Amino acid sequence: MKKKLQSKKRRTVPVPIASMGDIAFLLIIFFMVCSEVSKDNSNIQVTLPFSEFVEKIEVPVAARVAIDENGEVYLDGVRVDGAKDVEWGVRALLTHTVSDEQRHVQFKCDASLPKETFEPVIKAIAEAGGIIEAVGDKPN
Amino acid sequence: MRKRYSHEKKHRSGEIPTGSFSDIAFLLIIYFLVATTLVKVKTITADLPTGEKTSQPQSDKTPIVNLRGAEIFFNDRKVTMPELNDRLGALELGTQEPSKRVIMLESARGTPYENYFQALASISRHDGVVAIVEEDE
Repeated sequence: MKKKLQSKKRRTVPVPIASMGDIAFLLIIFFMVCSEVSKDNSNIQVTLPFSEFVEKIEVPVAARVAIDENGEVYLDGVRVDGAKDVEWGVRALLTHTVSDEQRHVQFKCDASLPKETFEPVIKAIAEAGGIIEAVGDKPN
Repeated sequence: MRKRYSHEKKHRSGEIPTGSFSDIAFLLIIYFLVATTLVKVKTITADLPTGEKTSQPQSDKTPIVNLRGAEIFFNDRKVTMPELNDRLGALELGTQEPSKRVIMLESARGTPYENYFQALASISRHDGVVAIVEEDE
């Protein structure tokens, strides 16, 4: 019995690391394929409005519309001329949608902008068939 | 010099060193994981159904929220935002049929988005359907 234990001590257990590189590269490829390039308009400067009713968005959005502090309008990160361009763009993006779940459009706007600037864009999204997901923040 | 060069060349195996590949790959994975931002923005959902524009007023009973600059009016009575929430809550729009969930939203020129957003949030929270009132041109 003692002898048997001694022989166990000498045993070396090699960890198979030859395929580690392959596994790691497969993981990288997986992440790169599954990732979605951000169109979050996060680089656009806006002061978000506050409301106690905002909730974390759970549905995927079909398009992202933003109006920055200077009143410039962006559709999926690209500057557009105005509300009409937003309507056409959103309408085009929603062409192949079949359910309400696919019609959500994120709308981000600077809190200080007047009605004349943002309301035409809101109407344009609605006219194009989008359900507005207006971005805001919870008050501290 | 020439002799030494040729001598060295003969002994080269020509194999690409792949020993550090896994390290490089894992470093790349760590980089991607750290650099990825899983941002979930906070929003309010507002469904603004589109329809035929009409110059006729809605039924007298259709509630109207009016924003005049920083002031809020609900059925022509000045209210604060918490009061508006209470009044909309009292309407129990969630239990009504869709045609009776309509809340008209009118805003004066220059109304800031902050107020508009809060009114929109309040209406949506209480299951209201927003109908935007346009100004006469």
